[in-house]
Amino acid sequence: MERIRKKAVKTWEYLNESSFEVRMDDFKDVCRHLYEDLHAILRVMFACDEREKDGLFRIYTVFDLPGHDRFFIIVLPVRESDHRFPSLTQTIPAAHWYEREISDLFGLSPQGHPDGRRLVFHEAFPANSHPLRKDWSMSETDKQEWGGGTTIKVPHPFMEVSGEGIVEIPVGPVHAGIIEPGHFRFSAIGETIFYLEPRLFYTHKGTEKHFETLAFPDGVKLAERVSGTSSFAHGVAYCMAVERMLGIAITEKASAVRTLVLELERIYNHIGDIGNMCAGTALNLGYMKGAAIKERLMQLNEILTGSRYLRGLNVVGGVTKDVFKQADDILKTLDVTTRGYKVLMELLLGSVSHIERLENTGKLSKDIARKLGVTGVAGRASGLSDDLRKSHPHLLYDRLIFEAHTHEKGDVLARMMIRAEETECSLSIIQALLESGYKGDLTVPLKTAPPFASALGYVEAPRGSLFYWVMAGKNGKPLRVKLRSPSYCNWPAVPFAVHGNIVPDFPLCNKSFNLSYSGTDM
Amino acid sequence: MIKEILKNVFLKKQAIQFPEGFNISPEQTVKIVDFQKKVDTIFHRSLRIRQVDAGSCNACEWECTALMNPIYDIQRFGIDFVASPRHADMLLVTGPVSRQMELALKRTALATPEPRLIVACGDCAKDGGIYKGSYAVTNGVANVIPVDAVIPGCPPTPTAIILALAELIDKVAR
Repeated sequence: MERIRKKAVKTWEYLNESSFEVRMDDFKDVCRHLYEDLHAILRVMFACDEREKDGLFRIYTVFDLPGHDRFFIIVLPVRESDHRFPSLTQTIPAAHWYEREISDLFGLSPQGHPDGRRLVFHEAFPANSHPLRKDWSMSETDKQEWGGGTTIKVPHPFMEVSGEGIVEIPVGPVHAGIIEPGHFRFSAIGETIFYLEPRLFYTHKGTEKHFETLAFPDGVKLAERVSGTSSFAHGVAYCMAVERMLGIAITEKASAVRTLVLELERIYNHIGDIGNMCAGTALNLGYMKGAAIKERLMQLNEILTGSRYLRGLNVVGGVTKDVFKQADDILKTLDVTTRGYKVLMELLLGSVSHIERLENTGKLSKDIARKLGVTGVAGRASGLSDDLRKSHPHLLYDRLIFEAHTHEKGDVLARMMIRAEETECSLSIIQALLESGYKGDLTVPLKTAPPFASALGYVEAPRGSLFYWVMAGKNGKPLRVKLRSPSYCNWPAVPFAVHGNIVPDFPLCNKSFNLSYSGTDM
Repeated sequence: MIKEILKNVFLKKQAIQFPEGFNISPEQTVKIVDFQKKVDTIFHRSLRIRQVDAGSCNACEWECTALMNPIYDIQRFGIDFVASPRHADMLLVTGPVSRQMELALKRTALATPEPRLIVACGDCAKDGGIYKGSYAVTNGVANVIPVDAVIPGCPPTPTAIILALAELIDKVAR
């Protein structure tokens, strides 16, 4: 850390964020030192157009060290005239998508990146058009051609695997079930998958740019609609980022409500996923049992918050309802849920045909998971003990006693067991929370944001670690909102997990990760 | 597992009661019964829906998936979701139609044989919802393909979807 402090041009601390502004020549070395020598994890990397402040773009690289509740942010100013920066991907593979995204959205090129193709925009989007720049605009003709999808402005070659017996299978974007769109190109030898290349960003809605048009209280509504099944987690992360930036602290009561509802969201997601995996193995009995339990939980969500997806409960500064007043409803439903969950798990673990499909399928090795920065359920199933609730205790997690579970094998069965263990853990957390009382109002008054103030917000969403970063602009609206959902980190790992499996096992692997396309595509 | 199978075979199968959270008024229940009759007569117990996600946040999809769970169980009406647009009578589109999904949506609609119905499900599909005005969306399905019905809601609950389908069938019947 001393080495970094010496090389930094500027250093500042805010809450648990330590920021270091470095020169272009030191950037790669500092990041390498953090990653290789100090074993830091790259959490999120993004750019911000701060030209109205001092004529520069800045690239923020957020790391954290295992065991410390601190974020280390390396800030690199980039000039518009020389819009290049050294790529970190060869040393830190987890940076690969972040750098391509910066290149697409801001036009800053990572020098030395092994993959020069665009990430976010497909072929019909004009070249040299970078939406997140403040002075960007797009003509109607360009928009029509982009939607038309047939003109190729920037080609996107897929890697071709050639040889005897290799079959190329393209799947998507419209998939067979009720699922989000994405394109997968398999290269298979017979039935075995040799190579998979996913192509996402079909659901790119320009969310980050759209945030800049919404005042902070309205931004919560957009944050909740980035990824439906983690609506509440996104809302909490956005509110946390804005609250930390404003320098306000929410009351104990609001923290308790947020913690409780986060765990409720975790439970309904995990039980739903366990049931869904049975759809992948054609065990319809398990699928329907899981769906029935999930439905009861969704109806509890509606009773508590008026929305099945827990929308509308978060506001900047706190929450709108005191769900502790309906503790009886919660306990009654959780009682039924626990019994249903036990029956479901007994059924699944007792079914040899189901477990045989799950065991040794879709193995993701710990080494690849660590290099790609895989987070959440998928990471913990491959042996990485990374849980934001433990490493960066937020809300009331520092008061609760619970474990972060890990499994070593990294196959589909491990991911299912992690979900099962976390469900039990969340059920006991909720019981513990309901036993105490909490003081305070539901919301606290807001302040005005000083321009160019920024902060991180972070939450352990059901799928993994979720980060938001907000920088305030001059008129009560954000200058930049960066959101990084856990699925963004996990998608690149899917090809490594399916390699060597048969094509019919692909839906099962996909369901075991259960990644959000909309959260990734933003 | 054998116990479960035997339970289903030997015990009298009971329809799962609509649980307490299932808010639906008596007039609306009549609609659902009528709905059953109409689907029987018009679609001969076989309305096939192809669900297309044109960029939604996925909440609408999960509500559509919930239609198939034992509590809402639209399969008892003869409605089902199919894998190919070529097998479908109806397209259920969600999402504000992101520009990168526009072509896929148009091709899916073209692949659905006539007579077909196109239903926009959710606030985003109606007019872009919270995403209205973003550079990467077309502000609603109606701007891409002609739409026969719109189901508002963010997301519309499974009950709302069933009732909306009932009203649509009513319209089609007349």
